[in-house]
Amino acid sequence: MKEQDRERTIVEVVGRIVEATRLGANNGGLSVEDVLADTLYFEQQRLKKSPRDRDNNAYRKLYRSIRQQLPRTSVSEQVELLRQSTDRFAREVVGKFDPRVYAFTTRVLPVGAGLMVNAVSPLSLISRLPELPSLKDQVVLRGATETLKGLANKGTVILAPTHLSNLDSIILGYSLFLLGLPPFTYGAGLNLFANPLLSFFMHNLGAYKVDRRKQAGLYKQVLKEYATVSMEFGYHNLFFPGGTRCRSGAVESHLKLGLLGCGLQAYINNLKNNKEKPNIYIVPCTLSYGLVLEAATLIDDHLKAAGKSRYIIEDDEFSKPRQVLNFVKELISLDARIVMNISEPLDPFGNRVRPDGTSEDGRGRSVDPSRYVFTGDGPDHDAQRDTEYTREAGRAVVRSLRQDATFLSTNLLAFTAFCLLRARGMDRQFYRFLRTADDLGGIPLNEVHLALERLRDALREKVRAGELGSNPVPFGFDPQSVVADGLKYFGTYHTHEVLARRGDRLFPGDMKLLYYYHNRLTGYGLESAIDERLRGDQ
Amino acid sequence: MTATDKPIGVLGGGAFGTTLAHLAGSNGHETLLWMRNEERAAAIVGDRENKRYLPGFKLSEKIQTTTALAEMAERCQLLLVAIPSSSFRTVVRALGDHLHGDHVLVSATKGLERGSFARMTEVLRQETCCLKIGAISGPNLAVEILRGVPGGTVIASAFEQVVHMVARPLHSPRFRIYASHDLLGVELSGAVKNVLAIAGGIARGMGFGDNTLAMLISRGLNEMTRLGAIMGAAPETFSGMAGVGDLVVTAFSDLSRNHRVGLGLAEGKPLDQILEDLGQVAEGVPTARVVKEWSDAHRVRLPICQGVFEVLYEGAKPADALEKMLSLPSMWEVESTDIT
Repeated sequence: MKEQDRERTIVEVVGRIVEATRLGANNGGLSVEDVLADTLYFEQQRLKKSPRDRDNNAYRKLYRSIRQQLPRTSVSEQVELLRQSTDRFAREVVGKFDPRVYAFTTRVLPVGAGLMVNAVSPLSLISRLPELPSLKDQVVLRGATETLKGLANKGTVILAPTHLSNLDSIILGYSLFLLGLPPFTYGAGLNLFANPLLSFFMHNLGAYKVDRRKQAGLYKQVLKEYATVSMEFGYHNLFFPGGTRCRSGAVESHLKLGLLGCGLQAYINNLKNNKEKPNIYIVPCTLSYGLVLEAATLIDDHLKAAGKSRYIIEDDEFSKPRQVLNFVKELISLDARIVMNISEPLDPFGNRVRPDGTSEDGRGRSVDPSRYVFTGDGPDHDAQRDTEYTREAGRAVVRSLRQDATFLSTNLLAFTAFCLLRARGMDRQFYRFLRTADDLGGIPLNEVHLALERLRDALREKVRAGELGSNPVPFGFDPQSVVADGLKYFGTYHTHEVLARRGDRLFPGDMKLLYYYHNRLTGYGLESAIDERLRGDQ
Repeated sequence: MTATDKPIGVLGGGAFGTTLAHLAGSNGHETLLWMRNEERAAAIVGDRENKRYLPGFKLSEKIQTTTALAEMAERCQLLLVAIPSSSFRTVVRALGDHLHGDHVLVSATKGLERGSFARMTEVLRQETCCLKIGAISGPNLAVEILRGVPGGTVIASAFEQVVHMVARPLHSPRFRIYASHDLLGVELSGAVKNVLAIAGGIARGMGFGDNTLAMLISRGLNEMTRLGAIMGAAPETFSGMAGVGDLVVTAFSDLSRNHRVGLGLAEGKPLDQILEDLGQVAEGVPTARVVKEWSDAHRVRLPICQGVFEVLYEGAKPADALEKMLSLPSMWEVESTDIT
């Protein structure tokens, strides 16, 4: 956020939250005192876990003061304490933006993803630059890129990408730069700031810090209100609707709707304030990698917890600079391309948006989005109604993400091999199958080729039926090439080979990783194309 | 004019559409009823009677009629859509040309769309820009409502505003409105019970007793609930007004069109003749095919619905279909697993 907007944003965020709390208290919600007490409780729990963290000294001082005053305060004094607490959170959240650093960052990024992997110093990074090929060659931008560029001038954009890796935000930031767009504001977990150099650039690429250890409702309110105000001030936002990196490797189908809701709130406020450009555009986008840096940790987490995944993983591959460096080197040596597919934009109600910024319904008829929030007295908020609108927008985002997903050779090969193996081991309970699939023997290569052909036909059918975008396999789908290309990837980077060729057979190496890369194609009913016996598993 | 001053819109001059218009009118609300046929539309205003579907019932003076969808959209914010499922999409698509985001659409049609398996509220969503959508369903025999016999219904919507907007003109001491957030469950109940009502009619037509009907109702409820649960509905919805409530009234009542279809089938009449004699749509007939296709696709065992399908579409004799059902292996009642 620009320096000149920083202070007014803080004032706006704090003012709105304090006012909303007061109004809520008058209408049967939590009293101001209760909100303060809740905040103290959750914050004290957090502070207990890091007693020596000097960064928290200011919080300790503030909470000590509130604790002493609270029992003796009047309501108006409690409001003042609430204002102080909110202000403290808001100042932490609101990021700094320095245009000079942004310019430097985007100049440096094209000549090497090394930026994000070097934990030592910028000098060390720069010394590597001549060796590294251009990131520009690695990132393939597809889809509604021109529409996105146009809409960024017609209103405020929320970019809603799939989330596979911590590298996503870097790739996204750079892709936006390639498109000539300004930096997008986004909330990044504290763990991303652990690397000092990365932290420096994250801040200045538009990221603000989200401390997931802060569980107080007031803090979460600040995050939401900050996103809302930033959109009202015209800052484009980036928001991973899945909330966190997808553990299974599948395209997201369950979204956290928080920021989409903020988009709607900002839109209503814009209408109420007669803003010249009130529109908010949601742009879903899928990112696809041939290899995923954190695949091993993520799928492990997915399988272990069976849906109860750890929300914050602090000890994954991303936290090991050398491994990140190796990964990036592998990607570059493989000439691996990262595909960013921009979907058709949506309005906050899930309607499709045309390139000129107007909305249309499912039959292509023009829609005036302001009518959705129109009450007898003009546009206004309605919490229950707006939650449902946001759910509708979320469903539309999921449809777009699934429809516009891109499948690379590793996904195609893994899906095919996994399904062939699963059909052989159908009598085994799933987890047992994962552990014991290697005793099912190798899969004859010609069987894999034939299955890939069937998969290709099934994908074409999905495209014809409109269930998938026009070109879900961007780099051609020749079964022999898919096998060769997939094996090339699977034989590098990961500690255990995912799939290996021995003679004329393919053998699973790491079943969990095979499952992970396979998952990208799940949910489309494609399993039966590989083997009819899998129809019930779809 | 605020939303509360605007007339209540009802699309469809069949038995239930007319009844809804009459209910709103009787509660003092200006009501605009859309009908396709100009003559019949004029006759309703002129005679205060729907001679084709509800002969002998005096309708509210507050009912006005129109054949223009544009007028409906312009004058009404709340539109209750009571169009047969077979033409539901066509009418709604045409209506969609005139709608805005602040319109509220409520389906009063029980049934699933053939081919797409779409629920009526899904059709409303697909064919219009409207998001504030709901459904009305329950044990609602039109004739009894018009007679003022006490009863009630369920309004389901994710939007509380929709529930309030529908309840306001329809609720009265003689017609109680219950609210639900489970739109899916309420719509599925309303659709599937029509198929079960045909089974009920067959059983009664064949002279079986109350024990048989009770079994049909309870096992039918079990089929509805299992179907709903697989699709994501709340199981308890099927124990409510829209579920077991509607099932009981349809399975037992001679006033139910679907039940009468079953009676005709038991007498050995051909389906075409039964439907012609009925002169009205029996939603259970097309819905039986949809439910059959759906249960096949998802491998859900629904023996009663399957039996009705075989009688309607595969020429099975009612006695044979019933015999087949009754010959199924004995099962645990709740787990539905074989014990023989």
